[in-house]
Amino acid sequence: MPQKGELILDVRDLHAKVAGKQILNGLTLQVRAGEVHAIMGPNGSGKSTLAGVLAGRGEYEVVSGSVTYLGQDLLALPAEERARAGVFLAFQYPVEIPGVNNVYLLKAALNALRKHRGQPEVDAFEFLGLVREKMKLMQMDESFLNRGVNEGFSGGEKKRNEVLQMTVLEPVLALLDETDSGLDIDALKVVSTGVNSLRGEGRAIVMVTHYQRLLDYIVPDQVHVLAGGRILKSGGKDLALELERRGYDWVRQEAAAA
Amino acid sequence: MSARADAPLVERIARAHADLRPRLRGGPAWQARRDAALSRLLQRGLPDRRDENWKYLDWPEVLAREFAPVTAATAEAPTPAGLELPGACRIVTVDGRYSPALSDRSLPAGVSVEELGAALDREPELAARLRVPGEDADDRFALLAEAFTDAGALVRIAANADVQAPIHLLHIATGAAASHARLVVEAGTNSRARILEQFLGGGDGALSNLAVEVTVGAGAQLVHMRLHEQPAGAAHVETLSVTQAADSRYRQQSFILGGRVLRSGLRLELAGRGAECEVEGLFMVEGIRQADIYTVIDHLAPHTRTVETFRGVASDRGRGSFNGRIVVHEGAVKADSQQSSRNLILTPLAEINARPQLEILTDDVKCSHGTTIGSLDPQQLFYLLSRGIDPAVARGLLTFAFCEDVVARIPWPEARRHVEELVVGRLPDRDIIREFV
Ligand SMILES: Nc1ncnc2c1ncn2[C@@H]1O[C@H](COP(=O)(O)OP(=O)(O)OP(=O)(O)O)[C@@H](O)[C@H]1O
Ligand SMILES: [Mg+2]
Repeated sequence: MPQKGELILDVRDLHAKVAGKQILNGLTLQVRAGEVHAIMGPNGSGKSTLAGVLAGRGEYEVVSGSVTYLGQDLLALPAEERARAGVFLAFQYPVEIPGVNNVYLLKAALNALRKHRGQPEVDAFEFLGLVREKMKLMQMDESFLNRGVNEGFSGGEKKRNEVLQMTVLEPVLALLDETDSGLDIDALKVVSTGVNSLRGEGRAIVMVTHYQRLLDYIVPDQVHVLAGGRILKSGGKDLALELERRGYDWVRQEAAAA
Repeated sequence: MSARADAPLVERIARAHADLRPRLRGGPAWQARRDAALSRLLQRGLPDRRDENWKYLDWPEVLAREFAPVTAATAEAPTPAGLELPGACRIVTVDGRYSPALSDRSLPAGVSVEELGAALDREPELAARLRVPGEDADDRFALLAEAFTDAGALVRIAANADVQAPIHLLHIATGAAASHARLVVEAGTNSRARILEQFLGGGDGALSNLAVEVTVGAGAQLVHMRLHEQPAGAAHVETLSVTQAADSRYRQQSFILGGRVLRSGLRLELAGRGAECEVEGLFMVEGIRQADIYTVIDHLAPHTRTVETFRGVASDRGRGSFNGRIVVHEGAVKADSQQSSRNLILTPLAEINARPQLEILTDDVKCSHGTTIGSLDPQQLFYLLSRGIDPAVARGLLTFAFCEDVVARIPWPEARRHVEELVVGRLPDRDIIREFV
């Protein structure tokens, strides 16, 4: 586990394409252990693309730039190895996988991590205890365990399930893509509790959001504005409040003037 | 006693029949039917790839096989174990012949089994109602089966019987030779029963040809699970004919998980008002195996209903085809018919052809059909990878999940587990996946 302040993620001048279209245009971002970063920005600006590139989604093509994760070249690793090394993506739109059992996937995912770290497989009893505890935290009914992955889950239930997985897998770098979208007021608090439970010296959280309200519950160390495939401005929590008031145009204008 | 391999096929069949005729059992009534079937077959010949419904079959592989059947009854043959279903009553056929010696002696109340030939001699009315295979291409292998059948099996479920015990029909092929056989199942009025047919054995070069007839009486409910798990060298051709009387319910589940070439043809007639059928199936072809599935479901009466669901998975150089026709005939008002065929092609050289055909000859019906042929969903695959799952395992899990759609509906837990194991065995990367499912 990294030490507090250690550089976990170092993205430099990243350019990426999808379906022949340039989406990320020189994105630079550094995230250190113990930090929480919020990324905000207009629709279509490339936030999910960034999350996808970091998690190893196949359809994105990195044209130039680099991503270093705990000192290693993240882009050289296939998706499953990134996950095993501690990168976790909570999807904006979690996919339904009927026929693959939810709790089974969770166990297989945990065992993949443990195997990578040279640990033995998790004991079945211990695992169930762990999952029950985390489900309580997420206020999820145990019936969700034996359903297909996200199968027939409501929008909010899918998001809760993503955070449940995250709390069980305890990633070093958690990427949350609009995990707060579609949550009711109570669910937002529950999910925030789940995310906050993971905050710690050796971890980092990068969360994409459109709403500054989330940041009342999960207070970020830094807020970034991503527009046109680049980080145009960074600041503290106050920046989110200002964005809420003024929108994004002024940031674009400021950047253009600079 | 085979004819020269280069002689035209019908000639080979005629000679084999002449050799065998004196030794075929069954009385004069059966003998007469056999002779009639043979002469019609000799006139018309077997179908070939020019016949619309036979164009996908791997003909060279079928024609390379010996068509002359095993001559002697081989009751001594070693019996493959077969699936253990608790409480089941087991009926065994060896190379198509009903074997009382290998079958359970005591049958559940309401169930009777006997040699078809013997029953025909005793009951002229049975001979009269037993279907005579037609001459069109779809039925010629059934003619071939009729021409050579000596014993065959007749399974009857008495009217009003409610049979709880699974009826396990174990079909065993013994060697590398051919067999041509008939099986008749009669489910009496208002009866209820569940049958599992399991196909085992058959060496490289073997050809088994089976014609099955099922009649489901008025108000009867029959579950008919069929499990093909022949070894990868065997060839099997079957022609099923199912007729449903008024208000009957018939559910067929067919798992085609074995054989070098497996052709399964089904004609199902919803003949009585209110008859309903569910026809479900799964084929998996890996290596160089082939599955060729052809189904025709005829809605002949009002308020009849069909739900047909087929799944296909092909990998390596496996080839599969699903050709499913549903015909809603004139007068079959308020018919309701749903057909779905979903197929997965896992590797570049594998091939699946899916051809749904819906013919509606009356108004006031509800029909839908859908066909997909594709590869694994990239979004689902990425989701699993993003959770650290190995790519081969992820692909296996998704393929398994695709098959589970049908497998999960198997009525007996033991049979379900058994089929799940077979399914895993047909997956690429089966060794990695086994521990996960
Ligand atoms: N697979 C794809 N094919 C074509 N275009 C794509 C693909 N994926 C993303 N894009 C395009 O890339 C741009 C950035 O998309 P992205 O999903 O990263 O935006 P976002 O910032 O997450 O937006 P939102 O706030 O709406 O979630 C969009 O214009 C989108 O249409
Ligand atoms: Mg997005």
